[in-house]
Amino acid sequence: MEKPAVILENVFFSYQNTPVLKDVTFQIASGEFIGIIGPNGGGKTTLLKIIMGFLKPASGKIEILGHPASSMEAGVAYVPQSMRFDRQFPISVLELVLSGRLAHLPWHGQYSLEDKRAAQKSLESLGIAHLQHQAFGMLSGGQAQRALIARALVSNPKLLLLDEPTASVDSQAEADIYALLNQLRGKMTILMVTHDLAAAVDQVQRLICVQGSVISILPSEVCEHFALGLYHTPLQQTKHTKLPVINFP
Amino acid sequence: MISFFEALYINPLLLSAVIAGLAASVVSGIIGSYVVVKRIVFISGSISHSVLSGIGFCLWLERAKGVTWISPLFGALAAAIISALFIGWIHLHYRQREDSVIAALWSVGMAIGILFISQTPGFNVELTNFLIGNILWVTPVDLYVLFGLDLFILVTVFCLHKRFLAICFDEEQAQLQGVPVNSLYLLLLVLTAVSIVLLIQVVGIILVMTMLTIPAAIANLFTKSLSSMMAIAVALSCLFCLGGMLTSYHLDWPAGATIALVAGLVYVAFLPFKR
Repeated sequence: MEKPAVILENVFFSYQNTPVLKDVTFQIASGEFIGIIGPNGGGKTTLLKIIMGFLKPASGKIEILGHPASSMEAGVAYVPQSMRFDRQFPISVLELVLSGRLAHLPWHGQYSLEDKRAAQKSLESLGIAHLQHQAFGMLSGGQAQRALIARALVSNPKLLLLDEPTASVDSQAEADIYALLNQLRGKMTILMVTHDLAAAVDQVQRLICVQGSVISILPSEVCEHFALGLYHTPLQQTKHTKLPVINFP
Repeated sequence: MISFFEALYINPLLLSAVIAGLAASVVSGIIGSYVVVKRIVFISGSISHSVLSGIGFCLWLERAKGVTWISPLFGALAAAIISALFIGWIHLHYRQREDSVIAALWSVGMAIGILFISQTPGFNVELTNFLIGNILWVTPVDLYVLFGLDLFILVTVFCLHKRFLAICFDEEQAQLQGVPVNSLYLLLLVLTAVSIVLLIQVVGIILVMTMLTIPAAIANLFTKSLSSMMAIAVALSCLFCLGGMLTSYHLDWPAGATIALVAGLVYVAFLPFKR
């Protein structure tokens, strides 16, 4: 049996004296597509940073792709929200995507032909090859998010982490991003933080609710859990979705 | 009065000054671009002012203690590198109080310099030159040092540019790719420190931030890649040096201040052109 891609056992994490994650234990099987949901300040981003090895927990065991998180080898890629970047930063889309191949960069710092081919392929798979010489800062929200996904995929990751990939995109770009993630389903393990519960329930195989501690639920169980007041907020019905969208406090 | 270009042929001091200005422009454009996009202008300001402590200490050793082999230039270089590493360490470990520590280092560095200078006998011409710059004061040895440091910075940037670009744009992504983010950040600060010392030769401590940031800030308005931003910034920096020296020659103004003024005026003129 294949080893789980992510193992967290009894993980505790605090910012100074404020506990953020308490006794977090879960496993994610290789190839699973997981949605991470929870209220603002519940610890979703902290959980991602712990998985990436950027934050060290106070206690607990973490194993990512068979390695401790702090000594992680290549195989993990991260797609942050595009709006967090400086739009004045002078970087072209091609340079951005190539930066996903930094792990392969030789000492003299020049990308190989293979790196350039991989970047081209990744740009084409996201449908933004024609934008490769554009400045990243000039892209629309959806294009920028696709460029960041292309950067993540160019490294051929085994574990793909996404932080609200559809937060600043229009509905067409959102549909395109979910279609792409569906194509990737099973080829790599995917963890997607999202506030859009309706979309998450449609797309993912399992949901991890983070609110200090962690609960793992199946999409079919969501309504029942939220009806129990997991987030202590009312449900809101949106026009175009069958399932509720939660506005976290 | 003969023209500036005729004077270049007959006055070796002026020719050395122009060569020094152009050599410093190369680092100003390249390292200045990193400083602007990484938003470490305030850190660079602190490094440039703390350089005075090294200059004051070396002048004191030279004049009051008779240590003849020491040069204020090497004192400046040592102080700049120590300050850069100290600020880098603060940035990596105590980010919450970073701006206060940088401001403290800024003034403490200057205070140490002033104290040493007050204990140094005689009228310190070198000190004035370091403070407000005197490009005509550049010696052949200074020129060799400038070329050597230029070459060091060019080779380092050629090999590490992609990694520097990654840490300037997205440190987390670079870290995930196994890039030694903290070491590269410290190296970038050290390169900035070396560049500051080179530029101090041209425009002085007080005006050095003009040359480090203005050419790169203007170039940023017109580019979509960091490497083209650097090329434009180097070209602009060379133009500012030549334009400033030509103006200062004809108006008999101080060269460093005139170069900084030309750069500042051009920046103001370009400000409406937002990308």
